[in-house]
Amino acid sequence: MSLLTIDQMQINFRNKPIVENVNITARKGEWFTLIGESGSGKSITASAIGGLLPKEMWIAAGHIQFDNKDMTHLSKKEFQNLRGKEISYVFQDYQSSFTPFIKIGKQMDEMIQAHSSLTKNERKEIAFQALEDVQLPAKRVYNSYPFQLSGGQLQRASIAMAIMLNPKLLIADEPTTALDSMTAAHVLEVIANIKEKINCAILFITHDLRLARKYSDTVAVMKKGEIVETGTKTNVIHHPRHPYTKQLLSAAPTLPNKMHEVIT
Amino acid sequence: MFRQMYWTHSRTLLFILFAFFLVILTAPLLAPYDPLQINMNERLLKPSAEHFFGTDYLGRDLFSRILAGGQVTVGTSILVLGIVLLIGVPLGMFSGFVGGRFDRYLMRIIDAFLAFPDFIVAIVLSGILGPGMLNLIFAIVVAKWGSYVRLVRSTVLSEKEKDYILMAVVNGLSTFQIIRKHLLPHVVGNVFVLATLDLGKIILLIASLSYIGLGAQPPTPEWGAMLNESTPYFHTSPYLMFIPGIAIMFTVLVSNLAGDVLRDRFDVKG
Amino acid sequence: MIQVAKRFIEFIIFLLLLSFISFIFIKLAPGDPVKQMLQVDEVSVTKEQIEALREELKLHEPIYVQYWYWLKRFFEFDLGHSYITKQPVVSELLSRFPATITLTCTSLIVMILISIPLGTLSALYKNKWVDHICRLFALVGSSIPSFWLGLLFIELFAVQLGLLPSMGKGTIQHVILPSLTLGIAMSAVYVRLLRSSLLESLNEDYVKAARARGISEKRIFLFHVFRRSLIPVITIFGMSLGSLISGTVVIEVLFAYPGIGKMVVDAIIRRDYPVIQGYVLFITILIVLINIFVDICCRYLNPEIRLKGVERR
Repeated sequence: MSLLTIDQMQINFRNKPIVENVNITARKGEWFTLIGESGSGKSITASAIGGLLPKEMWIAAGHIQFDNKDMTHLSKKEFQNLRGKEISYVFQDYQSSFTPFIKIGKQMDEMIQAHSSLTKNERKEIAFQALEDVQLPAKRVYNSYPFQLSGGQLQRASIAMAIMLNPKLLIADEPTTALDSMTAAHVLEVIANIKEKINCAILFITHDLRLARKYSDTVAVMKKGEIVETGTKTNVIHHPRHPYTKQLLSAAPTLPNKMHEVIT
Repeated sequence: MFRQMYWTHSRTLLFILFAFFLVILTAPLLAPYDPLQINMNERLLKPSAEHFFGTDYLGRDLFSRILAGGQVTVGTSILVLGIVLLIGVPLGMFSGFVGGRFDRYLMRIIDAFLAFPDFIVAIVLSGILGPGMLNLIFAIVVAKWGSYVRLVRSTVLSEKEKDYILMAVVNGLSTFQIIRKHLLPHVVGNVFVLATLDLGKIILLIASLSYIGLGAQPPTPEWGAMLNESTPYFHTSPYLMFIPGIAIMFTVLVSNLAGDVLRDRFDVKG
Repeated sequence: MIQVAKRFIEFIIFLLLLSFISFIFIKLAPGDPVKQMLQVDEVSVTKEQIEALREELKLHEPIYVQYWYWLKRFFEFDLGHSYITKQPVVSELLSRFPATITLTCTSLIVMILISIPLGTLSALYKNKWVDHICRLFALVGSSIPSFWLGLLFIELFAVQLGLLPSMGKGTIQHVILPSLTLGIAMSAVYVRLLRSSLLESLNEDYVKAARARGISEKRIFLFHVFRRSLIPVITIFGMSLGSLISGTVVIEVLFAYPGIGKMVVDAIIRRDYPVIQGYVLFITILIVLINIFVDICCRYLNPEIRLKGVERR
């Protein structure tokens, strides 16, 4: 019983197809990694799911089904209700995840208000809980402006915001690419913990094979707007079939097998 | 569709706009009558075949006066701009290039000048010096020169640090050559945009000040002054009110349009 | 707070400099001030009277002594007396200033009422016909001479329709035409500014992030975009006050509206130097104060500056 099914999706940019033949199936609670170089169309695919495609792009063919709802013909209002509540996003650029001149707490509050009719205290509780789940000092962060937090803190705060309302699908578009490796590792741990806690599915987009290796359940490889290989993590990484996948794997530096097995 | 047309033909558009100004400056040669010729028998005639725009309260042909006024208004504005550029650009380039104490002091002085709105400076100066076009020119130059020095200086400063300048220095180009070949194009671009936009403002400044009584003195035909002296006759001869005003508006419009097009082409911010 | 104190000290230094410059200016002005002060209605003046006044004004003292007296009087708010009316310049200024303030404020209101809706509509409906109309208005509006617009209004409303008075002051009707003229003329520039500021904000990444959170477009626009655009717009409104004040000069003359603008033009025509000087000083101080005020407002609106203490220049 899949949560998200993308079936032969094609996305056009001003009459030219830029993403084609995309097939994705993700189940509840599954960590699905979409891997590829920059420009391969991963972010565009991710945006399409939540109805965030810019004006010049649209879904020209195929279907998206989420939680048994046909997404390709939803209205703007329906998308708006879904976003943040059932499908959440975490972006690479954490700086612009928040509006710069509004306090973080206020933005979290605003988001809960947009999707529910809880009282102020209830909303504050939810926000605080989410901040604690991502290991941030809740009161301080709630009352801060975005520029007062470090990169890692800001990214964790945006994760907190994304999971506040227990979404079924968390789309993380290169969430750690802009962070240094230690902070990145921490952020990923946080995401993994969250997934355990609320059992959401994660669509994880990255270009870094090492991350795919560490956390995924399923891996799909994207090249030039098409998915060239899909499979379980073990299959794709240890028994790649497509030449491009093999290329990617050979390009990534690996630890010798014994060490690798010890760590994972 | 309009957008596409706009971009491909923007050069032609600019050409036309600048040609417009050339026409204004030379038009008085075509004037059918002497703009200063008083003829008390033909006062306040409505527009007709003999007098395209009619005559004013002293019997002077309005059409000829408008043409002559164009030369006065626009010519003076261009003169003012020319002087401002002559002073401002070299000063700005020198200041930006040399930097140091000279630059700092100059900027302080200019900041002080620019604290006053240009209109106030112009009006007070021309007031103190007395009416007359020469004083007006001086007043406006004093009001405007600072912004050009600033603009040139900041262009020089921002380009100076860029790598292609370093390359030129490393390649052994002399300072003069660097300025001429690499900095000057940027400076000229920015200055040109500002100047074209300012042209409209200066035209309005001259017209407004002449309307108040400073600047152009009778019998000099200047559009603002013409509006001033014909005021008692507006009610009976409305063309005396409309025509000079439309002339001013139209000319400023052309200049603003040219400035906009230039700015879009050069992509200068603010 | 330190910033405000710094500004204040800068302001005092500025005042001192200003007083010095205007002192020099008055010294350089053509004509003999003594003769002009004593001249009333062509009545001839005796030599003794001239000498007496010279004594009083200490004109035979060395320059720096004269400056010292000038400075003293300056900080006592004594700016001399008008050559024409013989009244203290300060009282002339103060009696007429309220009228100009009224005009400036109403014009500002008109300006805001026009430019904010037009600028916003123009940005929201970019490239649709609404946008084109607004931009046309902006282009034409910034090309029209304000006094001509005033003349047209007078002709239409005062003369033809007899609805509103064309000169003087006293009632609200007297302020309507002048402020409408000035407001419309100035709003043209701001429609454009607001439009481009809003368009820039609408493209920002954090807007996309807010959308990804499921916030409604309406709320995004009002709270996230609009507020961001307000900061540069307010800065420019503040800086525009200079143009607004200069604009009142011409408008006051046109409408025979008795504010300080008309006062200074009359003074210029009648070569009443103390009044001219008083006006310049007054305006300068006013503008500097306004700039400081705008600065403070912007610091407040932009929390980044407020909390980090970054110098905005």
